[in-house]
Amino acid sequence: MTEIVRNTSRKKDFLVEYFRTQMRTDPDMASAVAAIRTLLEFLRRDKGETILGLRESLKWATDCLTEVDSSVAVSSGGELFLRFISLTSLEHQDLSRCKKVMEERGELFLEKISLSRTKVAKLCHTFIKDGAKILTHSSSRVVLRVLEKAAAEKKRFTVYVTESQPDTAGKQMADALRRLNVPVTVVLDAAVGYVLEKVDLVIVGAEGVVESGGIINKIGTYQMAVCSKAHNKPFYVVAESFKFVRLYPLNQQDVPDRFKYKADTLRTVSDLSDEHPMIDYTPPSLITLLFTDLGVLTPSAVSDELIKLYL
Amino acid sequence: MPGADKEADLTERIEAFLADLKRGGCGTGPIRGSGETARETTALLRKVTAQARWSSAGDLMEIIRKEGRRMTAAQPSETTVGNMVLRVLKIIREEYARSRGSSEETDQQESLHKLLTSGGLSEENFRQHFVHLKANVIEAINELLTELEGTTDNIAMQALEHIHSNEVIMTVGRSRTVEAFLKDAARKRKFHVIVAECAPFCQGHEMATNLSKASIETTVIADAAIFAVMSRVNKVIIGTQTVLANGGLRAVNGTHTVALAARHHSTPLIVCAPMFKLSPQVLYGQFLRPHGLVFALTCTILSKVNVHCPVFDYVPPELITLFISNIGGNAPSYIYRLMSELYHPEDHDL
Repeated sequence: MTEIVRNTSRKKDFLVEYFRTQMRTDPDMASAVAAIRTLLEFLRRDKGETILGLRESLKWATDCLTEVDSSVAVSSGGELFLRFISLTSLEHQDLSRCKKVMEERGELFLEKISLSRTKVAKLCHTFIKDGAKILTHSSSRVVLRVLEKAAAEKKRFTVYVTESQPDTAGKQMADALRRLNVPVTVVLDAAVGYVLEKVDLVIVGAEGVVESGGIINKIGTYQMAVCSKAHNKPFYVVAESFKFVRLYPLNQQDVPDRFKYKADTLRTVSDLSDEHPMIDYTPPSLITLLFTDLGVLTPSAVSDELIKLYL
Repeated sequence: MPGADKEADLTERIEAFLADLKRGGCGTGPIRGSGETARETTALLRKVTAQARWSSAGDLMEIIRKEGRRMTAAQPSETTVGNMVLRVLKIIREEYARSRGSSEETDQQESLHKLLTSGGLSEENFRQHFVHLKANVIEAINELLTELEGTTDNIAMQALEHIHSNEVIMTVGRSRTVEAFLKDAARKRKFHVIVAECAPFCQGHEMATNLSKASIETTVIADAAIFAVMSRVNKVIIGTQTVLANGGLRAVNGTHTVALAARHHSTPLIVCAPMFKLSPQVLYGQFLRPHGLVFALTCTILSKVNVHCPVFDYVPPELITLFISNIGGNAPSYIYRLMSELYHPEDHDL
């Protein structure tokens, strides 16, 4: 019995270590991609005999990863991988052949999604005109890539970034933009309404895109969306397709607690009402367009995409 | 040599079409509606398919794309030309897939599902030669032409469901589709139409004349009176130049005013537009650059005055209630679906 426990804890350590290494070696990699890479490696080393056993161990592995990084992206990456396994296992009944096909397809899938940020940037940069003033929230690598592409196309624009408490991630975004020679101003989170009259468009990233077409993103995004609706400014979201997640929140309360707070907080704190949530939900009525590697989508098109995958 | 003659004839036809487009015509002479342009474009593309030299679907698509680029460059504001080229490209893809025997599913556009289950990064290169491909493509284009000819009638047929007796309907400028729509309803219902004249060309006057010839009670109002009169209007029915991919419209100048006034009074706004007007463009900022005309002001301040006369307006999808097209009525949020059925995403940039 102790053998099994030791084995399990060793497997868990390996998983967590691999995931952390992935995130460390390439800070530009999305956390969902790191999660999928880790799960693929886990698949390679798995010695299970049945497909059901494989699914069980993968579910367990995904749970371990969400304990390390409780973001929506890791959860959606894990679910996507599980779906990938189910679809592949339906085609091949023999486990060893199935595993080989899974490994090949897994590598292909990783290759494709590593190109997704470039695809998104290609679609979105045409919406940034010369002389535009852009407002963005916190630090998003996809938004950064879009702005890089627009700068490379010799467009002149200025950016306002919210500093985004409590981790002041906005300052990192501002530094990255300064390195690109883009004029950037860091504003307080409370100054969003003040700044919006000067701004032409708002571009934000997303940690997760939900079934209704709304998004889950760093706290403060909902506020920004409501203000831009009031000012009639277009609110664009840029996200890769692996962030589509099977949630349908109707309001802020519906977003599960495991996404709202960091993994450590969930473990240590008993009364969550004193904690500050890290994310919020923006409903689809406030979003103008979503730029994904599957194309430019209106919020109503997102559920179509999810249905195509999961049904 | 008959082959060379045919080719020369084809290039001559294409050149004549391009010259006509540049002048603002539609390919068969004086300025006419976009329906004629669409039909002319499709007929020309059918001729290209029949007479140009090609051995595989890939070659044909390249030829059509090349001609398509030339045609759209001649008159960028006439989007129906580009739309028809995209339709023909989709037809070629479908016929190729059918000849190969593969199901429709494999040639679907990008989706999460396809990302997960596809076996390889290699794409279709359309190099295989099929004997009957030419005949199949030409037959499909003929079907498309038949569809194009029936669009106005299909839309007009739906009129009785939407117009009731003793209603006051507002429209803007002149649209052949809306005219046919209203005339069809007038056969069985009695209603009143208010036409905004739509300066500076005042095409509303012609619309009003045509409607009154069909014994419909018509009133012409100035554009400035649109908001004032809106409180007494039951429905607003308009046509458009283009339907954009996000469900918005690119329509004649003044339409945005009507749409905002209708939203303010909670009046339904119905757009009658045939499917060939649906364009994969989403960017709406581009054409606010006025493709306009400058008036010959006969006064001395001419040198100090800039006259902007934009021809088109953008109407966002939130202001529109319903789209009536030849395939039925649809909400603006559904337009993206119709687009994915008509065009292939790889063709969106010609």
